[in-house]
Amino acid sequence: MKPLTSFMHSVWIAENDLRQSFKSVRHVVWSLLFPIFMMFTFSFRYGATGPDIQFINFLIPGIVGMTAMFGSINETMSIVWDKSLGVFDRILAAPVSSTSIIVGKTMAGAVMGVISAIVLLIIGSTLFGVVFANISAVLLVILLASFSFTGIGTIISGLASEPREAMMLSNLLRFPMMFLGGVFFPIEAMPAPLPYVARAMPLTYATEALRAIQAGNPAVVFIDAIVLLVYTVSTILFGSQILMKIMTR
Amino acid sequence: MENAIEVKELTKFYGSLLAVDHVNFEVKGKEIFGLLGPNGAGKTTTIRMICGMFRPTSGTAVIAGFDVSQKPQEVKRRIGLIPDISNLFGELSARVNLEFMGKLYGLDKKTRRERIDQVLELFQLKDRQNDLVKYYSKGMHRRLTIAAALIHQPEILVMDEPTSGLDAQTARLVREIIIDLNKEGRTILLTTHQIDEADRLAQRVGIIDRGRLIALNTPEQIKNSTEGMHALEIKILNGVDQQQWIPIISGAEGVDNVFLAEGKIRILSKDLAQIIPTVVNLVDKHGGKIENISVAQPTLEDAFINLTGKSIREEPMSKEEDIRRRMARSGLR
Repeated sequence: MKPLTSFMHSVWIAENDLRQSFKSVRHVVWSLLFPIFMMFTFSFRYGATGPDIQFINFLIPGIVGMTAMFGSINETMSIVWDKSLGVFDRILAAPVSSTSIIVGKTMAGAVMGVISAIVLLIIGSTLFGVVFANISAVLLVILLASFSFTGIGTIISGLASEPREAMMLSNLLRFPMMFLGGVFFPIEAMPAPLPYVARAMPLTYATEALRAIQAGNPAVVFIDAIVLLVYTVSTILFGSQILMKIMTR
Repeated sequence: MENAIEVKELTKFYGSLLAVDHVNFEVKGKEIFGLLGPNGAGKTTTIRMICGMFRPTSGTAVIAGFDVSQKPQEVKRRIGLIPDISNLFGELSARVNLEFMGKLYGLDKKTRRERIDQVLELFQLKDRQNDLVKYYSKGMHRRLTIAAALIHQPEILVMDEPTSGLDAQTARLVREIIIDLNKEGRTILLTTHQIDEADRLAQRVGIIDRGRLIALNTPEQIKNSTEGMHALEIKILNGVDQQQWIPIISGAEGVDNVFLAEGKIRILSKDLAQIIPTVVNLVDKHGGKIENISVAQPTLEDAFINLTGKSIREEPMSKEEDIRRRMARSGLR
């Protein structure tokens, strides 16, 4: 199959997935309400009567990274629903390569992660006046982070045999990442061995890189971006291996 | 006539479970071929291998001249698969679903638009084309599933249990569609566990049981395999479930097989003269009263029972084995 045809198959699969996700207004609203709720809740820190501005500058980049995580993993997990509803078979019966299917699903996950994160970034900036120093660098980090979360989504989708199992598996990964990934508390303030656990999570690098952009620390951004890239490649490759087995059984 | 499908020694293991066991058959071009067998017999696995969705453990399947193991994409371009359940995207409209399928099959924009209009018209879905598929009735789902399989105008249609779970009216409509598609020159391979459907639709039938093809011929020839076998139908009046008479009658001398068919007890025997008085006496002895008794023509179901020793309506295997087979097929082990 020609590379361009394969790529177009991926684009159409991604477009189809995203079209379904955005078709349901409720789906979009519910998925964004959670990070918005977390953002507002944590902005009133330690019993303060109004939002703690210093903490908000710390919080918003974390919330943006967390939103990318939820958006990407949720979107990629559509594979499990597709498998259980039989719609995955519809794609498998068409002259589309397994690689195109995986690339398409990955693209959809990453796009969803980026869109969700941008929405939260706009809300955070508008309501709390957080100004991002270098928006291109922010978008690049969000994109890389979204791809790495998508890789985790493909692994979950490959391992889970049905949607309930996928939900449990994803919660097992998402919630520890949310609380240990430096979104709400700096990992340096965590007791040992939690900082080491946090260092194994891609969200930690995403939040750290977003904060480093704000602080004007390009060296940290660069290192974190490399780690996210390694994470992306390894998780997508591992997830693809599992999905390939299912697709070519 | 050239063969559209040639299956040779096709075998599929799911781990240690043998789902399809050295199956051989051909489907001639422009033929309706039925794979008949109970649930869990290996029909779906067989057609999934033919469609390039499952990899055979051994054996070959050549579709329209292409070996599915070597050229799966070529095979997929020539086949339209209609699964047993509607597997369209419920959150999208019929038109968007068809648009997506058209793109995957490489149709250009103009051709896509023309074909979509054509199939929507053909299956009387045009007025609901922009409604979300999740709001469709079962019959509309079925029609749209067939329409989606026709979008790339395949020469071969593979249908898995095409009328399963449909009401009588929709099932009749689907059968008419199958006949029309065949008249247009398409080869049709269908699986069914309904004997009357195979009898009505298929020009040739392969009977599959526990992964093995145990008979292959025209429905008439398969029925003729019951040569020398007679079928006797009786209805017993005594307020007791007809099912309870089966163990009583099955023990009688000369009775080869007994089963329930359409509310009547159907008895297969090679010696009609002997079993009529035997059965009458037996029913009388157990306090029953025969409402009616008649000699019937052997059917495909009689032939199935003659070949497999069991009714297709019965639970074909233990529940555990059936679940194990289904889980293995779906990849949930």
